[in-house]
Amino acid sequence: MKILNARLHNFRNHSETSFDFAARMNVLLGENGQGKTNALEALSFFCLTKSFYASADATVLMRDREFFEIDGMLESDNGKEFSLRVAYDNAQKSKKFTINNADAEKFSSVIGMFPVVVLSPENNKVTFGAPNDRRKFIDLVISQSSRAYMEDILEYRRVVRQRNTILTEAQGKECGALLTPWNEMLILRGARVIQKRNQFIREFTPYIADTYLRIVGEKETPKIEYAPSVPIEAETTVEEIQSRLAQKLARKYNDELRFRTSLAGPHRDEVLLSLNGMQLKHFASQGQHKTYLVALKVAEFFYLKERCNETPVFLLDDVFSELDENRSQKLLSLVESLGQTFITATGEKMFGGVHWNKQRRKFFIKDGAVVNEAMAA
Amino acid sequence: MIYTSETIEQLIEEFAQLPSIGRKTAQRLAMHLLKMPREEVVKFAKAMVDVKDKVRYCSVCFNITESDPCSICSSQKRNRKTICVVEEPNDVIAVEKTHEFNGLYHVLGGALSPLDGIGPEDLKVKELLSRLNDDIDEIILALNPNVEGETTTLYLAKLLKPLSIKTTRIARGLPIGSDLEFADEATLTRALEGRVAL
Repeated sequence: MKILNARLHNFRNHSETSFDFAARMNVLLGENGQGKTNALEALSFFCLTKSFYASADATVLMRDREFFEIDGMLESDNGKEFSLRVAYDNAQKSKKFTINNADAEKFSSVIGMFPVVVLSPENNKVTFGAPNDRRKFIDLVISQSSRAYMEDILEYRRVVRQRNTILTEAQGKECGALLTPWNEMLILRGARVIQKRNQFIREFTPYIADTYLRIVGEKETPKIEYAPSVPIEAETTVEEIQSRLAQKLARKYNDELRFRTSLAGPHRDEVLLSLNGMQLKHFASQGQHKTYLVALKVAEFFYLKERCNETPVFLLDDVFSELDENRSQKLLSLVESLGQTFITATGEKMFGGVHWNKQRRKFFIKDGAVVNEAMAA
Repeated sequence: MIYTSETIEQLIEEFAQLPSIGRKTAQRLAMHLLKMPREEVVKFAKAMVDVKDKVRYCSVCFNITESDPCSICSSQKRNRKTICVVEEPNDVIAVEKTHEFNGLYHVLGGALSPLDGIGPEDLKVKELLSRLNDDIDEIILALNPNVEGETTTLYLAKLLKPLSIKTTRIARGLPIGSDLEFADEATLTRALEGRVAL
């Protein structure tokens, strides 16, 4: 899939900016704080119905404005065109997403239609951060490739919130009877989430090994392992996961009363990343972290491409600043070969070997607008 | 915004309190009322007051009614052996529209949702249990297919089990007239789960 063009209105510092994108590589150049990342962020709305940075829609609204609007044309791999529009009204706190002038009745129905892979400094948390950051990463990949999983994980999260409300309000007192129906629901949805994550990690492993080899080109062996909150093996059935979850819930009941929060279930899962058999978060260098993250993201690209039957667009936000020259060039030529890419950078040095033409275009961003090269300087 | 009439402003405020009505719509409605003939407005106002005065909840099924028990509960033409359990009075209307169900109803008044402060005590569950006797053959659980509805279904199913009354739930799945190939994965998955033997 490709994004042919986009228009941003009242979006962060873009009051009215239009882009005609190139089919392969689009480089957004400019100094800090000019609005390069904001443009990428707007593109992510087409694919995810929301920003990859901000959690609330209101935060991307330009200051003192009532509403923002993003529209654009997308073209799928088979040549079909889609006109997309996202509009947010701050007074009503309402967001509308339309595809070919028809309202998308559920935002979740859009996820996965136009797959996207985002690589931004925000993603550094995937290798550096807490288990929650890794769960978020795999949840987004699986959600883009499986509607059923997305429904399950959304419902699961809701169950946990409901359960936590009971545990909070019980203030440490007995509340087993109130929890019982929610326990059943947690077990049903939780078991499906665990099974799907388990399956995903197994499917994803070869992709990460392959991309790592392509980027690093040397003998560093990455491994991604699933450490679910209940022990499982490759062939554990959903029913078996259910009964293990039930046992764990029963065991954790007293602790849950004490801590006033849900302690058993896939919201406590961990995904372990290792390199040459050693845990990444404990020993890897900054550059290795970054390389690992890039490999995860390129693997995500190939995974989604195969699962969604649609080539994802690749958004790379300020990626090259932390990689050495050699790895940067390798990454650039790798992403070049993937599909349509959108890259932000402060300098042009990296792109010295690129021939700018219909396939590869650069945009100079200054003060929330696209300007010509002379003005940008 | 400043109006030359405080009364109009008051009316706009009142309209804006209603669900899915913003200030602009409220303003349009208020201006429209101003243009309507007086008797029409009085009729409208009376209808609103009547709804508060005359409509109450049926003491048997907790559906909305003007006579207690409601017309469904007191009808001798209905099959009194089956009870369809729903969340809200609106759901009764939806099921009635099908003309396929001739039994009785029980309106719970919502679904379990601790986030909204709704626990088992807040639903008409005890009232449902007290209605059950040897004459009842089947209880159909027709709650919404969301997390809260499903959880409430599980809760009720467990509660009803010891009574050994046949308990069923409505099927979830594909809308009529849709094509299997265009069905989204999530719906299809649920439909597969709820498959029935032929």
